[in-house]
Amino acid sequence: MRFRECFEFLSGRRTHGFVITSAGNCSEMWWEVTHETEGVFYLEASMSLASMFGAGLALGVPQIPVWVFTGDGAFCMNPGMLMVERQLNPPNLKHFLVSNRCYGSTYEVRLPNAPANDYAAMARAMGIERVYHFDSLEDLKGNFDAAVLGPGHSFVVLEVEPVGKKLKEPPIEGPEMKYLFGRSVERAAGVRIFDE
Amino acid sequence: MEQRVAEMTGRIVEEVASCGIKLVASLPDTWIADLIEAFDRDQRFIHVPVNREESAIGLCSGAFFGGTGALALMGASGLMTCVYALTKVNYTYQIPLLICITLRGSLGDQAKYHVSNGLYLLPLMDSLSMPYVIVDNPDKVALISKAYGHSRVLCRPVVVGFTRSVLRGER
Repeated sequence: MRFRECFEFLSGRRTHGFVITSAGNCSEMWWEVTHETEGVFYLEASMSLASMFGAGLALGVPQIPVWVFTGDGAFCMNPGMLMVERQLNPPNLKHFLVSNRCYGSTYEVRLPNAPANDYAAMARAMGIERVYHFDSLEDLKGNFDAAVLGPGHSFVVLEVEPVGKKLKEPPIEGPEMKYLFGRSVERAAGVRIFDE
Repeated sequence: MEQRVAEMTGRIVEEVASCGIKLVASLPDTWIADLIEAFDRDQRFIHVPVNREESAIGLCSGAFFGGTGALALMGASGLMTCVYALTKVNYTYQIPLLICITLRGSLGDQAKYHVSNGLYLLPLMDSLSMPYVIVDNPDKVALISKAYGHSRVLCRPVVVGFTRSVLRGER
């Protein structure tokens, strides 16, 4: 499916909750489609840690959904993240693996073992129970509720086409990102993050 | 000996609890095996064994945004693998983090494979301008709380390094 159409659909279905996007295409495409600054952490300065970041957040706000978007380039660097996720099993964590089989932010250089990697099988092998794999928008639309809105941690593989061009980075610097996101969590979840 | 280790482990756990820390993410080193077990048994904490040390950095950094106090516990070698995660995630976004490590390779460590930690661990932290305190005496355990508080003021990671003798409950 087309990356942009996939994110347009998902962002259109998001009613509340928090979004964490990994470096490169995931952050850039979410920004391009939504221009959201409320409740979204563009974790551009990180490779492979977005789902761990999201899991840590999810523990503190168990009543609020946390959507994490990881590129498959990031995933390949740390697939063991799924072991930790499975162990924690936060019911509000929804992990989307955006698979375009390339390093999208570095001119779409091919991933190692790209055609053979079966991310859904890897997740199942680590004991994750709610694993979904969608390679068409129709399939994603038809099964969105079960995959994303149902209770329990889920891992959703989205097979998308490479973007084919360099997208713009979200124009938000580190400390600004921290306070924008942190204040939005404080408002939505009623937790105290920053010391008075 | 076992009694002394248990007492010291208990003191460290209590000090961490007094900070309001709820989440402990760990990867083992032989020196902290007892400490990890103690966190695992203690119902006041969510103890998460992680697959690699960088995952602990990511998990604890995210926990900050959920209002959950967190500790990353690892060996010296583990910290050496975390330079990218710390400088990118914690430095870019100014996210506080308490990290407790072993001072492998320091005076008295017989393990030759930790020589590199002895040579480069402290200079590495200095080069990153990453504050650290060394707990080389049981009476210095209170530095854990001070380090935690300092990390929140500084909005960056602060490291607490334990000597082997302290973890063994020796003076």
